[in-house]
Amino acid sequence: MKRILLIGFLLAMPAMPLMPLSVHAEGAMLTNGPLPPVPVPADNPQTDPKIHLGAQLYFDTRLSGDNTISCATCHDPRTGWANPHPTDTGIRGQVGGRNSGTIINAAYMRYQFWDGRAASLEDQALGPIHNPIEMGETLENVVKKLNAIPGYKEQFNQVFGTDVTADGIAKAIASFERTVISGPSAYDRWLAGDRTAMSRAAVRGLHLFNGKAHCSPCHSGPLFSDQSFHNLGAGMDKPDPDLGRFKETKDPADSGRFKTPTLRNIELTPPYLHTGVEKSLMDVISFYDRGGVRNSNLDPMMLPLNLTRHEKEDLVEFMKALTGTIPAIPVPGFPEGQGAAADPKGGLR
Amino acid sequence: MKTLRAQALLAVLVILASILPQEASAIPAFARKYGFNCTMCHSAFPRLNDFGARYRANAYRLPGRENIEKTILESPPPVAFRTAAGYTYDEYKHVSGGDAPAKQSGFEMDGLDILSAGLLGQKIGYMMVFVPGITESRGLAGQEATLEMASVIFSHLASTTLNLRAGRFEPAYVAFSVKRHLTATPYEIYDYSFPGGPTLSETQTGLELSGGGHGPLRFAVGLVEGSSTNLAKDPARDGYVRIEGVLGPGEGQTAGHRFGLTGYFGQARPDSSLHSAQTGTETFSRLGADASLNALGLNLAVQYLWGNDQKALWGQPDKVTWSGGFAELSYASAYGATGFARFDLVKEPSSVDRDIRRLTIGGRYYLEDNAAVHLEYSRRTVTVPAADDATEDFATVRFDFAF
Repeated sequence: MKRILLIGFLLAMPAMPLMPLSVHAEGAMLTNGPLPPVPVPADNPQTDPKIHLGAQLYFDTRLSGDNTISCATCHDPRTGWANPHPTDTGIRGQVGGRNSGTIINAAYMRYQFWDGRAASLEDQALGPIHNPIEMGETLENVVKKLNAIPGYKEQFNQVFGTDVTADGIAKAIASFERTVISGPSAYDRWLAGDRTAMSRAAVRGLHLFNGKAHCSPCHSGPLFSDQSFHNLGAGMDKPDPDLGRFKETKDPADSGRFKTPTLRNIELTPPYLHTGVEKSLMDVISFYDRGGVRNSNLDPMMLPLNLTRHEKEDLVEFMKALTGTIPAIPVPGFPEGQGAAADPKGGLR
Repeated sequence: MKTLRAQALLAVLVILASILPQEASAIPAFARKYGFNCTMCHSAFPRLNDFGARYRANAYRLPGRENIEKTILESPPPVAFRTAAGYTYDEYKHVSGGDAPAKQSGFEMDGLDILSAGLLGQKIGYMMVFVPGITESRGLAGQEATLEMASVIFSHLASTTLNLRAGRFEPAYVAFSVKRHLTATPYEIYDYSFPGGPTLSETQTGLELSGGGHGPLRFAVGLVEGSSTNLAKDPARDGYVRIEGVLGPGEGQTAGHRFGLTGYFGQARPDSSLHSAQTGTETFSRLGADASLNALGLNLAVQYLWGNDQKALWGQPDKVTWSGGFAELSYASAYGATGFARFDLVKEPSSVDRDIRRLTIGGRYYLEDNAAVHLEYSRRTVTVPAADDATEDFATVRFDFAF
């Protein structure tokens, strides 16, 4: 009898799945749920005229010193509202030091910029304008230029009850950016119960994401970002490395730390990391698989992962399942004045 | 007939549990707290990966995220269970014949551990393992009720990497955890001692101060009561020290290479079977060297220990020395399978003049992160130059799971 039972047990083993496929979905649900409603600050409510004004300003090259660069130049709607190049090329061909983050879902971020130096979209919106490498304009001059354009002056009075101000520019652009929100992804549909929404490879990737690949401790929450700062070592092996968050806080513990980016729509925004040196999702996963780049402040969670090629491919499939529907927003028309004309292409290259 | 029905029921349960794993969603205490899969911390449950080792060394807090940790009052009930059920075959015999082989085999449940762990406060973690008493019966391995572990860990004392562990715990001198190893058979050297003496595989009650953490070097020093099961024989406190270093990234569990040195210094009274009169305390020591090497997904764990005991502990006229260790090679594949092979050796004291050798091979197939089918074969040979060698063949197929 014992032999029969043992044989039965052994015979049953081949019927077992070749690979573990089920995922502790309830665990993932606790942290990586669907996106909530967009948070809107009380002092800058969303209105259609303001959003329209913000769209014009976002695409208007006249916000830059030489009237060639708009926000959209580096945060291009055609490339995931980000820059397809490792780092930005700003005014007069100057090259910046970091990869441009996406505008998609930036409205949910507690901090803006890789180093978190802006606490809101309103704070962020003006930064690139007066950055000498990016748009190379002074706030004073851009306000003067826009006040000389009757169409803008009229709209600002309608929306804010004042002529053009730097504060108004920031609020209008921020309002527009709060409309650049992605819709449900395959992952969201899968999480809602549609078990056909993700491929088997993507489900395996989710299992890895929340386990062996050690992604979810940092890429947590609806945005797949803990909205915090970590040192992965990217670029830390270079002379005079970019110290990221440290530049803002001057806290040695922040040396080499950069904001955890959202993984939603990550497929659309190569290259990756603040250095932009990882060209593909496979490359960036390989970077993590190596445990990042060792340095004195490397995040203690950065460890070699021993991922196989197939596991990396499964992770890539899962990342792709995080791509949602992206709003198609065309370049708007621009009001014209006596000065330079706006680029009808909205600064897109 | 009743026994047959019970065995059949047990077999059906095991098979059902094995072939219907996709419905399982049970995750033990830590995984449940964070919503992680078990593979976040385990390369092959119950063995820890580097991340798990760091988590444990950080007093059960995610390294670098200590300020956002939730205590046990803010997270799900921190309780988990572990047990195993399967079929075991055990045969003991002398190589050249003699007595008839002693055989034992059958289906059985293999004990139960009840675990609880978590954070009592932002800098105070705890771990408890309670083993409930089970009366041995056919098909059910018996066990005595005991509190195998119950410790509190105070972390970030004076520096960010200094921890104090107090209570009953698995000490740092056990370079390769006997609570989280892959095999059903034990590490022979950790179970070896003088007659009636303490073994390194037992948990200890006392204090342990440890430091290091993320740098290449770390240390642990401890003061413990001694692990003799007969407290009267082992009245004095024992001390130990361990130093280890890691080369390369990782913790030496699944990446990087870990090297360690251990010293244990204890006192004990000789076993009453060796001396007719009561004797005083005698000293003993254990010195160990170990390495955990990783390459291409393979892990090679090597441990060697030297024992040095006062003569009275063995009832011998001179000091007694012995040594032994093991080398274990394991590989965790990406497809849910883990293989292992280990050679254990104990070179007993010259007065005993025996060697113990054990060769173990096997594997685990993970139906889920927390549920594995375990197959293992082990042959233990006791070599006696002037007499007949004795061998023990052990084989098991079991379903090992935690929830």
